[in-house]
Amino acid sequence: MSNTDLEDDLRGTFERAAASVPQAVDLTERATTGARRAQRRTWVVSGAAAVAVAAIAVAGFGLAGSRNQPTQPPVAGGQAPASASATPQVVSAQTVAGTWRPVQMVGAKTLKAARPEDPVLVFKPDGTWTGSDGCNGLQGTFSIGQRGAFSATSGPQHLVGCENVPHTGVLHAAKRIAISADTLQFFGADGRQLASYARAR
Amino acid sequence: MEFEEYVSARGQELVRLGFTVSGDYQRAEDLAQIALMQAFRSWRKVRNADDPHHYVRRILVNEYLSMTRRRSFTEAPTADLDPQRTVPDHATSVANSDDLWRALATLSARERVVLVLRYYQDLDDQTIADVLGIKPSSVRATASRALASLRRRPAYSGASESNRVDERLS
Repeated sequence: MSNTDLEDDLRGTFERAAASVPQAVDLTERATTGARRAQRRTWVVSGAAAVAVAAIAVAGFGLAGSRNQPTQPPVAGGQAPASASATPQVVSAQTVAGTWRPVQMVGAKTLKAARPEDPVLVFKPDGTWTGSDGCNGLQGTFSIGQRGAFSATSGPQHLVGCENVPHTGVLHAAKRIAISADTLQFFGADGRQLASYARAR
Repeated sequence: MEFEEYVSARGQELVRLGFTVSGDYQRAEDLAQIALMQAFRSWRKVRNADDPHHYVRRILVNEYLSMTRRRSFTEAPTADLDPQRTVPDHATSVANSDDLWRALATLSARERVVLVLRYYQDLDDQTIADVLGIKPSSVRATASRALASLRRRPAYSGASESNRVDERLS
């Protein structure tokens, strides 16, 4: 058989094979849905990584502070870290109840970035808290003891990625809380300020 | 051109291309879907390309070649052509096509892809080289090797040519 014959047969075979292919349905939907799912997975992974990094940063700063390191961590918003003894005041679940917006947070530099949701924390008098990291709903419980001793737990949450505000990292690392006027401050075990929030109007 | 328009116009062509290179209906749809997913994720770039279809076709072909290189890849038995689904044609052509179709399954993935791009997609060697990221001389060598391999098959060797259905009918 000559090359030309074989080539002609190949053309015919491929044409016939192609013609035998059943009509594919929903190609557009399958492609777009698949791509969006893949994109969402990427966001979730990067979101989880961002939360983990933030948590490690908060924990790391707390640990460094407990060893009496003289250096100060970078602070968003240009505010100097406050000392633990800055604003001693009686605090309780009733006095912190309300909605709070982050003003400054150790290690977080994009608090003012645009996010799908308002990144607020909401404390309720019954000892529960809710909120959003900007993309995911958050919730948990908290307790305030004598002289502002603070502890919090958090419930399960989605991890859609964005410029997540690491509220949860702050709440977990915070050992003391202080309130003065419309400012809520969280302090780590070493007494250094982890974050401050302003009461939302 | 919007993505949906492109899929409506060329989506089925991609499935057909996937079938001619892989010989498997299910894999053909998977390949088309993967290619379209990747194109969708950077559609602005694809749309602005000189030939968006060329771009997507390149994704599909290279995805298939990558697939065959994976250790998890097992060569699926090549689907026999279904005469009920094919366009009406001469009966002998069906039989001869089946012989050749089975012979194509014995080629390497790259050899088969080169033949598909050359004889089904009617691409020149320079364009095939661009799709596969190899030199035109490599395309020619691969095609030559593949054709030689097919000619050695019993149905296409001179010794058994009389076994071809059209020969027997004449």
